[in-house]
Amino acid sequence: MKLIVNGTEHQIEPEWRNETLLTVLREHLNLTGTRFSCGIGQCGACIVHLNSNPISSCMLPVAEAETHDILTIEGLAKEDGTLHPLQQAWVDENVPQCGYCQSGQIMQALALLQETSSPTDADIDRAMNGNLCRCGTYDRIRKSIKSAARAMAEAR
Amino acid sequence: MVKLSRRGFLISTGWVAGGVTLIYSLRNRAIATAPTIIFPDEASGAAWLQIRPDGSCRMFFSRQDMGQNANTGLAQIVAEELNIEMKDIEGILPTTSDVPPLAVTAGSMSLTAFSRPTAIAAATLRESLRSRAAVALSKPLSAVLDDRGGFRTAEGHTISYVQLVDSANVIVDFDDNQPAPALYTFDTTRAKNQIGQGVKPLGIRQLVTGDKVFASDISMKEILYGRVIQPPVRNALLADLDTAGVAEIPGVVQIVHQDDFIGVVCKTPSAVDAAIAQINVTWDLKQPINQREIDRLIDVDKAMVNGDLEHTLLDQAHRKDVDWEIDLRFDVQVQTHAQQEPRTAIARFNEGNTDHKLEIWTGTQDAWAIKRSASRDTGLPEEDIVVHPQRMGGGFGGREYYEVERDAVRLTRAVKRPVKVQWTRRDEFTASRSRPASAQRVRIATDSEGNLSDWWHSYISGYVTLARERLPGWLLPMMRLGEDSGVVKGAVPHYSAPHQRVEYQDVDFPIDLGVWRSLNGAPALFAIESAMDELAVRRGADPVDYKIAQMKGAHPRLENCLEEVRKISKRRPLPKGKGYGRGFACGSYDGRCFVAVSADVYVDDATRQIKVEHMSCAQDVGLAINPDQLRAQVESNMAWSVGMALLEKFEVANDSIQSANFDDYRIPRMTDMPSLTISIIDQPSIPPTGAGEVALVAGVPAIANAVRHASGVRPLQLPISYEAVSANDLENI
Repeated sequence: MKLIVNGTEHQIEPEWRNETLLTVLREHLNLTGTRFSCGIGQCGACIVHLNSNPISSCMLPVAEAETHDILTIEGLAKEDGTLHPLQQAWVDENVPQCGYCQSGQIMQALALLQETSSPTDADIDRAMNGNLCRCGTYDRIRKSIKSAARAMAEAR
Repeated sequence: MVKLSRRGFLISTGWVAGGVTLIYSLRNRAIATAPTIIFPDEASGAAWLQIRPDGSCRMFFSRQDMGQNANTGLAQIVAEELNIEMKDIEGILPTTSDVPPLAVTAGSMSLTAFSRPTAIAAATLRESLRSRAAVALSKPLSAVLDDRGGFRTAEGHTISYVQLVDSANVIVDFDDNQPAPALYTFDTTRAKNQIGQGVKPLGIRQLVTGDKVFASDISMKEILYGRVIQPPVRNALLADLDTAGVAEIPGVVQIVHQDDFIGVVCKTPSAVDAAIAQINVTWDLKQPINQREIDRLIDVDKAMVNGDLEHTLLDQAHRKDVDWEIDLRFDVQVQTHAQQEPRTAIARFNEGNTDHKLEIWTGTQDAWAIKRSASRDTGLPEEDIVVHPQRMGGGFGGREYYEVERDAVRLTRAVKRPVKVQWTRRDEFTASRSRPASAQRVRIATDSEGNLSDWWHSYISGYVTLARERLPGWLLPMMRLGEDSGVVKGAVPHYSAPHQRVEYQDVDFPIDLGVWRSLNGAPALFAIESAMDELAVRRGADPVDYKIAQMKGAHPRLENCLEEVRKISKRRPLPKGKGYGRGFACGSYDGRCFVAVSADVYVDDATRQIKVEHMSCAQDVGLAINPDQLRAQVESNMAWSVGMALLEKFEVANDSIQSANFDDYRIPRMTDMPSLTISIIDQPSIPPTGAGEVALVAGVPAIANAVRHASGVRPLQLPISYEAVSANDLENI
């Protein structure tokens, strides 16, 4: 069994094939940027993209992710270290406090911007309301999404 | 084992590998499972600082990181004192073997307790380098002036730290007989380079790129996965255990059962899930776990029938038979931390001749308490154990004790391979040490001029700092004769009356309790500030004016916060129409942090919901070292205010914890967040006062007062429900 993560093909050993995608990413492939938090798809900390669609990787049996293109937080920055505009906006606004939920927040925001290049507050509410942040960084997340949207529009 | 002197130890670990190092000694030691409460004093320095041969500065961070970014503030102080930039500082989160015990990271104390010792340490290092520069330049000390990353003379000669430091080890002991050097951080006449600047939180890039920063991100060879069955309460006794079929589950390595401890170790996380699901356990409880039992325990009115409550915080010409103008009871429900990261620990026993027989990686507020507890648990001497603290994905007071670490240590000992234990979300709720429920009766009377004449505040709360299993059992009864520092938080009012009594009783709950953001601060201020608001409203007075008048000039910093929040709240007019309300509240945390908040709410009859639309907050922080990060702490406290006032209730029933995940314990989401106006009041001549859990104490009552303004009904219970204040249910006032 193989997984394609951030453009790289990984062989999945037999003992890991009954795990969730999240467990395989974290414990087998050592891609730990995607976090475990609720385990029931209720908080968004574990969001990755499967063929450009955001999904809770804590709920998905790894077998169902085979042959799909998986994008994780580790795949966002360029190889030379240049951050994705969303990551850069997160840094510019000093969004993270504890930081634990932020990978999932950024991946969910990416899905939003792929669908809506210039989101309104209502669009942001709709897209982000499933992503919990106990530290309460929501205000800065909202600002960062808007500034990233502007930066991405300018780059186009 | 050879005992090294501190100095020898530093050299042996490679810490002093060349350069000039400042060290400090430490005198005290803490007891077994109690929190580590050794704060640095002025003579001890708070950080080990080193200027290295390349001119850069290395510092051991003295605080555990959980999002409050206190270490960033401390690094700013070091940069200010040494005339260097933040990028010149390399910070290291020390293990328990790297430095002497550091105080538990709690109580919004980090900047309060550590800023001055850190400044002294850095300034001492700077002055020792200045002496070297004077020799090198053949100038008197007074002619050696500060320069970026070094010194200069009036004639234009410069000498950098790089030129002053070579690869020889030089250690500077702080001499506490000497007067402290000039501290640039606290010098109000100096223009600052780092202090007061919006310096970026250290390590922020790692957090947005998904780097390995949390305990669960660590991997190691031969690692196995484990989990332990968490009882509904720590003093439960195992009544019945059935592990039939568990050993046959593929991937199960071992079932570990010692007394009331039942765990499994497996090759993969899914095997752990399957094994735990297969185990059947029943527990014997000492108290029934249900809401009725909690309500019974905190029934303050019933307790007052029997006379004075157990503890007296304030008693001054107290009168019982007065015509009470306010006589209200306020109830607060249990709340829990629900930090985003379920706690995780990895433990490993090392065979043979190694520095440490047991290593623990974990995110904790108190690494040294973990080490002491692991020593007690395993019988290993403390020097054989090292704790590698990791960043916490949220702490909020809930991560001071040996818990998931215990699980990992016992399991790894059984299987002789490293074991990673990550609590499930259900484990987090089940084994959390939640903030207790409390019930408070507040009575106020006024004199003929409308000033407070009588104040009588009586309350019952579950234990907080003296909760069961937080201290050794033998110590608890003795400690409980005294004050529970968590239960008393916030209860002494800022308002003065000639006749006053504040009394309380603390009780054992059927569930485990502990420290939660602000401890009893937010519950106490909810009652006090609601009662004062109600009094002002009934008198037809402006609540802000009335509160300021009743402080009688005793709390100018708090008055200032109220005036400031009144001013900034005017920038956004309250929408006209039915359902809108604005409320104000103020408070202090530990008498050193001052804050006032206003909240605008909309009580929506159509959706039958209460929405907080806007909050303004003015907080006096003393010296504002990093205004942006102080603002971030206020934002967080406003989110928690919404959660506490409107959303969060920890459910117990049927002798178990019912709240198990985010679908049945509602924490604030993006759409619950109000817009915010924040004013950080910088007081450069006053030491930093801390911010981590301050604004919550005023945020919660501000929301309650706004609901009163909007609905005409005084909220008496948290969380406030629409039903409790809707026009159809007016009997509660």
